[in-house]
Amino acid sequence: MVIRIDPENNETRALFDMTDFSGQHVLEIGCGDGRLTWRYADKAARVTAIEPAAKLVALAREHLPGELRDRVEFQGVTFEDFAVASEPSAFDIVILSWSLC
Amino acid sequence: MVHALEEIHRLLKPTGILIDIHPVAEASPIEIHQGGKIDLAGDLSVRQWCTDYQEADIALTEIKQRGLFTFERERVFDSLTHYDSAAELRTSLKEAIAKFARESQSAEEAVPQVEALAERAEELMQAAASGADLIVRERTHISRLRPT
Repeated sequence: MVIRIDPENNETRALFDMTDFSGQHVLEIGCGDGRLTWRYADKAARVTAIEPAAKLVALAREHLPGELRDRVEFQGVTFEDFAVASEPSAFDIVILSWSLC
Repeated sequence: MVHALEEIHRLLKPTGILIDIHPVAEASPIEIHQGGKIDLAGDLSVRQWCTDYQEADIALTEIKQRGLFTFERERVFDSLTHYDSAAELRTSLKEAIAKFARESQSAEEAVPQVEALAERAEELMQAAASGADLIVRERTHISRLRPT
């Protein structure tokens, strides 16, 4: 089954219209299989992408492009648990990727 | 949701920004595209999903009113999901509903609607020549917020 989500890159354009990722430490909440992460990660300094569904995190890690391995970290964790273990003022950008609802 | 936004406020640097992306609480057209022509199979509207999107809007408004964040920029765009067949559409939507139904019983009520839409999409896809594209169009809201 081949499902293509946003091949027009409408979401990517909207995201880049909102901010400049250059040199930024990004937290992406609800990254799923990394679909959106790949589209901006090469511009960021560092990306921490969290997702509670272990199956999706495994897919994201499996498909992580080699050139992004030194800057993208996927964590299989809920935001609640992640927040408890995190220091304040740690991120330049937080992305709620279809995850607030 | 508001508690999560409070935690995000704590995790962000004072100069940081929050970007929220979530669908608009309205029905999503299911379209068959072929040769510049668009046929509408129907509108997908899952009541519980729309309720969740509305609650997300309410949470964002609340944190703005409480002075935790200010809205700097927002816009709406179309997120298009392409399927090769009506069978793919049916399977994908039913999986999404089944996943959601584990959290909320009311999602199950959308299954007959999905079946009807998939049947209509299948009719249109069969009537179209090969190469037709089946698309679900979701209006999506993106906003940039700054901690205050």
